[in-house]
Amino acid sequence: MKTLKTTLKAVALAVMGTAAMAQADTLKIGIAGPATGPVAQYGDMQKIGAMMAIEQINKAGGVNGMELEGVIYDDACDPKQAVAVANKIVNDGIQHVIGHLCSSSTEPASDIYEEEGVLMITAASTSPTITEKGHQLIFRTIGLDSLQGPFAASYIINSVKPQRMAIIHDKQQYGEGLATSVKNEVEKAGIKPVMFEGVTAGDKDFSALIAKLKKENVDFVYYGGYHPELGLILRQSKEKGFGAKFMGPEGVGNPDISKIAGEASEGLLVTLPQSFDQDPENQKLVAAFKAKGEDPTGPFVFPAYSALQVMTDSMKATGSVSPDELAEYMRGNAFDTTTGKLEFDAKGDLKQFSFVVYNWHADGSKTAVK
Amino acid sequence: MSKIYNAIFAAGITFVLACLMIGVKLNTEGTTLTVSGASGEQWSWIVGGIVLVFLAQLFADRIDTLFGKLPKPKIGALLPAEEKRATLKPWLLAALIVGLLVWPFMVSRGAVDLATLTLIYIMLGLGLNIVVGLAGLLDLGFVAFYAVGAYTYALLSQYFGLSFWACLPIAAGLAATFGFILGFPVLRLRGDYLAIVTLGFGEIIRILLNNWTALTGGPNGISGIEKPTLFGLEFTRRAKEEGNVPFHEWMGIDYSSSYKVIFLYLIAVILMLFVVYVINRLTRMPIGRAWEALREDEIACRSLGLNRTIIKLSAFTLGASTAGFAGAFFAARQGFISPESFIFIESAIILAIVVLGGMGSQIGVILAAIVMTILPELAREFSEYRMLLFGLLMVVMMRWRPQGLVPMKRPHLELNQ
Amino acid sequence: MTETSLYLIQQLINGLTIGSTYALIAIGYTMVYGIIGMINFAHGEIYMIGSYVTFIVIAGLMSMGLVSLPIVLLIALIIAIITSSTYGWTVERVAYRPLRGSNRLIALISAIGMSIFLQNFVVLSQGSRDVALPPQISGGWTFGDPSVFEVSFSYMQLLIWLATFLTMAGLTLFISKSRMGRACRACSEDLGMTNLLGINTNKIISMTFVIGAALAAIAGLLLGLYYGVVNPFVGFMAGLKAFTAAVLGGIGSIPGAMLGGLILGVTEALTSAYFPSEYKDVVAFSLLVLILLFRPSGLLGKPEVEKV
Repeated sequence: MKTLKTTLKAVALAVMGTAAMAQADTLKIGIAGPATGPVAQYGDMQKIGAMMAIEQINKAGGVNGMELEGVIYDDACDPKQAVAVANKIVNDGIQHVIGHLCSSSTEPASDIYEEEGVLMITAASTSPTITEKGHQLIFRTIGLDSLQGPFAASYIINSVKPQRMAIIHDKQQYGEGLATSVKNEVEKAGIKPVMFEGVTAGDKDFSALIAKLKKENVDFVYYGGYHPELGLILRQSKEKGFGAKFMGPEGVGNPDISKIAGEASEGLLVTLPQSFDQDPENQKLVAAFKAKGEDPTGPFVFPAYSALQVMTDSMKATGSVSPDELAEYMRGNAFDTTTGKLEFDAKGDLKQFSFVVYNWHADGSKTAVK
Repeated sequence: MSKIYNAIFAAGITFVLACLMIGVKLNTEGTTLTVSGASGEQWSWIVGGIVLVFLAQLFADRIDTLFGKLPKPKIGALLPAEEKRATLKPWLLAALIVGLLVWPFMVSRGAVDLATLTLIYIMLGLGLNIVVGLAGLLDLGFVAFYAVGAYTYALLSQYFGLSFWACLPIAAGLAATFGFILGFPVLRLRGDYLAIVTLGFGEIIRILLNNWTALTGGPNGISGIEKPTLFGLEFTRRAKEEGNVPFHEWMGIDYSSSYKVIFLYLIAVILMLFVVYVINRLTRMPIGRAWEALREDEIACRSLGLNRTIIKLSAFTLGASTAGFAGAFFAARQGFISPESFIFIESAIILAIVVLGGMGSQIGVILAAIVMTILPELAREFSEYRMLLFGLLMVVMMRWRPQGLVPMKRPHLELNQ
Repeated sequence: MTETSLYLIQQLINGLTIGSTYALIAIGYTMVYGIIGMINFAHGEIYMIGSYVTFIVIAGLMSMGLVSLPIVLLIALIIAIITSSTYGWTVERVAYRPLRGSNRLIALISAIGMSIFLQNFVVLSQGSRDVALPPQISGGWTFGDPSVFEVSFSYMQLLIWLATFLTMAGLTLFISKSRMGRACRACSEDLGMTNLLGINTNKIISMTFVIGAALAAIAGLLLGLYYGVVNPFVGFMAGLKAFTAAVLGGIGSIPGAMLGGLILGVTEALTSAYFPSEYKDVVAFSLLVLILLFRPSGLLGKPEVEKV
């Protein structure tokens, strides 16, 4: 037994030896998200935001004498690949990660980062469960579904005051989570939704659903999900003469919805994080994106940028790159970023993140309601 | 002359294929749809492609003869003679197994993790190999049994706190039961009907898992699934339960995260060896012979008094239980599962592994699983083209080597004269 | 009429419309299967390409200033049929013909590979985002008391019904009356024998793929106009549903494909109408399993005679 122990020990030491990292003057930051697959366009938003931040921070002299280098990892928004990517990142000796994008990828990956001592800031995953596991190194610079749901609900209760409300979602983590949260909140206020139903993501025909909504005399629909399905629902509703008011989360707040729904998207209500690209203070940055031919209007571009700001500000303040020290500093301090003043709570979520209700227009533009 | 016509025809076809789908791009400006021509560079690629096809068709026979002259590598020639092989085999096997067990200590964590994933696909491939390769039943919904295995472990561990080792046989058993329940009515169906029914079954299981939020967490999946332990020793930094000692404290060494990855890999190796051994024995038993006999000629089998329902069911059930095995391990490795991991394309990949490897051949399936999981990793630089190449590879392989990488060889006995 | 019956009528209209499009795509599966006994898994992708070509042509002609809708649609239809048929022909030539005569599974894997290839080819060439076309044919009839429930039936839905019916009728006539159609039927009876009798079976098989692809292009045009949206992934699910419809009706039978498509469409609509719509696909696939249990060759399929 003793000999077995010593041999295993020797083997283990060898493992440690190979895993030791080389110190260098560049600090690698992992950027993990989908570069391929159906949601690649969202991964792209996170990527351009983070890369722009890295470029500008380097231009301003880097961090603690180190240059930053962004390394892009593709998880294709597939949980299985996300685990492989997380292991690869750990393996590559990277200790700071921006990502992942899809909540279902972030969830298994964050377990690995926490155990391996990697600091992770997601700029896009909004599922509340990610930060509920008591992880110390997992943060996010975007609002949660559990914040957005009640926000949308309070607007519905106070301003829309629907008679017969329906809640539809796309049976995915993001959509169903939001829809459930809205449902719970409006029920507390005494509005009983007449319908609560899922549709199949990727479906094209919603005529049966619309006939059902029509039969129930629904006058207001909250949709939890993304723009392709809601766009078609709006378009087909108009064709079938179903004229209820619709509302959706930031997942539908994409100019593409107007391309799909055309006229029918006029008057859609959308809860969105403040559009940071409209903020006068960010105009220089917007110009920088435009100069590179990149689109800064996506909802995850600025949160990704600010995630890097938070990370590097902490590095400068603590003079260290150790994830544990950074995490401790991040919990105790406030940060001035492009997405405003950010403060983190004990779970690693933002203390506050404000949403705005927008009125959507047929040409893809939007105006704030309140 | 006809050659020129042929070549012109082929070039014309290429032009039609390319001109609209590659040569023109759809954009949206505001809310109206517009088209724009592709860049000059892309058009020059298209023209180049057309010229290439034209020339290839024009000189088709010459190219063929050129290829014919190339010596074809023969696998048979690389192997030692038959008698030698018999004596070498146990040594080779032993060396291979030792290699498999020692190897992870030498390489990086990412490589070990990838190897673990490969082993899961090997198990899945071997399981489907029984159904498709040996018994000749086309199953397009194999991923359903994989899902059953994974969810069995995840749910039992979440609700009843059962350990991985206790759940492993339960997961395999439950997947087998599902295989049995599905198999009983549908095995009367002919090949392609069976294919679509199993495909439908795979979709049904996935949608049910997605819709039954109260039990399975719906699209949120199940997270925080316990990792396997080594006789109660955990591979975490700190023990999760009171009184438990983490592995590294028990060993008296420093904590390293690699241990857990290597431990998972070793479990996978052991499971895989177990599966290989069981299936290897089964194919030599009467039931294994009966599977193949049934695949070759069903009517002859029945007239010889073999009960086809029992034979088909046994293949289906055993295949399903292997998938259940792999599923439980997948849940343990992943720590998080959701219905997204069990979509149709997974079934297609597993089927591709079986066919690519050579239906019925265990070594072939193992090789194919390695190729199919490692190639996409190597091709990460071309990540945009990854799936395109994957599809192309499937087509090309079927043309080039339809019998698979390593065609099956029946275990046989020769009598010395 | 009461609200319940009006509602039922509306859902039947919806179901028959979806069903018609399933039927159109299902014919491609059923014809190929009837003649060479293989599942052309890439057929859904051909339909998707048909939709893309339609969008490209319509957008192109509109931007050139051509506004007469019937002419635009006619040109779009012709070009879509030509392009899709070329794809269908090439797929057969490249991926299936060299494998003919080998194990069925080999051809199936090749087909799945082709399907993945085509889908990603379009992702690369046209991008993976949804492409949307503004409504071209809008309007329709409504009937029923608006205070109870108003049933709507759009021109587009009528067009889909008519197009499906006419194509079906034309195809049935072609198969039963024309010389080529007879050759097709001969091939599906016995390919080898037909060949011996001096019919160029390769040509017949190529033609089957071309006809199937042309029908898929028609479906691509109609559905493209009806939903107004296309992305590289629409072909897969539509193909799967159409394949289910073909098997339901009895694979190899053209009226069967029609019947299977309509049954599947109506089942889906009625499930969404009276149950939570997330169970739509579960019910559709369960129905398939049930029907096959009682009629193992599908509704109108020929029971297979076991020969020694």
